[in-house]
Amino acid sequence: MNPQSSALPRRATALIADDEEPMREQLRNRLREAWPGLEIVAEAANGIEAVALAGQHQPDIVFLDIRMPGLSGIEAARMLFNRCHLVFVTAYDQYAIEAFEQGALDYLLKPAGGERLKTTCARLQTLIGRQPSNIERQLGALLAAQGKPARPDPAKPEYLRWIQAVVGANLRMISTREVLFFRADEKYTRVQTEQSEVLIRKTLKELADELDPDEFWRIHRSTLVRVDAIEGVTRDLRGRQMVKIRNFSEQLEVSRGNTHLFQQM
Amino acid sequence: MKKSRLAKAGYDNAKSLLDIVREIGETAASLWWRFFDWLAQVEWRKLIIIWLLLLILGLTPFGLPKQTVGFILLSLGLKVLAGGKRKAEIEARDATSHADEEGLERRLVEARMAALQAQVEPHFLFNTLALIGQLIETDPPHAARIHQNLIDYLRATLPQMRAKGAGTLGRQIEMSHAYLAIMQARMRARLAVSVDVPDHMLSATFPVMMLQILIENAIKHGLEPKIDGGRIDIRANVDGQMLQVDVIDDGIGFNVHAGDGLGLANVRERLRMLYGQRAQLVIEAPLTGGTRASIRVPYAPDIFAEGVK
Repeated sequence: MNPQSSALPRRATALIADDEEPMREQLRNRLREAWPGLEIVAEAANGIEAVALAGQHQPDIVFLDIRMPGLSGIEAARMLFNRCHLVFVTAYDQYAIEAFEQGALDYLLKPAGGERLKTTCARLQTLIGRQPSNIERQLGALLAAQGKPARPDPAKPEYLRWIQAVVGANLRMISTREVLFFRADEKYTRVQTEQSEVLIRKTLKELADELDPDEFWRIHRSTLVRVDAIEGVTRDLRGRQMVKIRNFSEQLEVSRGNTHLFQQM
Repeated sequence: MKKSRLAKAGYDNAKSLLDIVREIGETAASLWWRFFDWLAQVEWRKLIIIWLLLLILGLTPFGLPKQTVGFILLSLGLKVLAGGKRKAEIEARDATSHADEEGLERRLVEARMAALQAQVEPHFLFNTLALIGQLIETDPPHAARIHQNLIDYLRATLPQMRAKGAGTLGRQIEMSHAYLAIMQARMRARLAVSVDVPDHMLSATFPVMMLQILIENAIKHGLEPKIDGGRIDIRANVDGQMLQVDVIDDGIGFNVHAGDGLGLANVRERLRMLYGQRAQLVIEAPLTGGTRASIRVPYAPDIFAEGVK
């Protein structure tokens, strides 16, 4: 062990970022015991504040909670990693903990304390005054694991999951999982659920572009049907394919160009 | 050589002839039993009409009056002698298979309901334990209160500890208080709560864990991600035969691209199983921002009301 760090703890500055005030207080108290020479120069209640205060105070170390409003701890880290040494703090984020282990990133589990905090402080003391290591790649991987890609992937669009419909004076949110089918109705589109029928202004074409094509199939120029809601397909007397919807009486016609959808059925 | 081949061919012929005879026999037997079952189950009135028609046909010049009368007498005899017993057998068999189906369906619904009920989120649990740890050092009486709240919350939420059957609105609100108290201790000034439920509605039947899921959603997706936090209002009102419970937040509002998660799908599915088309989950985005989630169920104010059906 570095004799200098245990005998004569170096002076250093730190910032604590956590949206929950009691947790900031806890870390502050425990750090005071584990490393009396560490001065907490600022505390931030969200990711945006953390980045701003770090710019203002230039601390040596930033303790970042992972789940914070504004910017998450990992998003904030991407803006801070080349200026300060970072330590992530979490109560439970299994995916992140695994990534920290693999990427050799420093982290603490709440409630932080005991031997683990001492080890972290000892390691940080040896790092003070040195250039922080470049952890951009690890942070990018973490963001991807969190479901927020570093850059939006154009090949994987985000599909529409909620339909907004004006019902009376309110804007109602209808989950696409509730929708049985969409049907073009002159200027409007009819949204049919098991319990209600509403009209929206979005055209069928717009909907077809925004919805997940695996969730809804276009069976006709004027009909988009949710695949899960299809009970079966029959032929009527005129030889047209008709889609039967579960728990619903109306049958929907499949246009000639789309009969390939049901060839296997 | 040639002889044996001929013999083999003859043997094959005989074999296929036997097969045909056996098949005819089987078909005749199955037709006979089908006729017998039909005869056992057919109504007397229908049978008599059929006999009359047969008689008329039989009396025409081309008919076979003797055979017709013979058939009528045979079927009459069968119907009188064996019909009753056979009919009872068939009915009993149908009833058993129907009962099996119903029992299976009910068990299936129960199993799905159990699986659908909400789970305790580890993230919430660990954060609350960390909070209690901190409060033990700085504010022991507060720590004891939060500790009690956590116990109440777990009792209400862990499936194996939860009371069976339907709950009342009052009990559901009580359980939510434990959760809200914990979140207020963690979020401090960032979370304000108000509950506006008239006393006489507290005894109304309300399904378990649904209010809880709406409140957790409002905090998790609406208020926690909002820098300044906000408020959550819980309201109930009765409109005709329906009880409506609203959970309103002024959080960051709705992301139309985010899936509706397990929570809301779970509520919707359970409402459908419990009430069919008579209950509803409505999500709205008020013009003032935030989100309003409402559950409408048939109003059943009697605390002794058994179940929900």
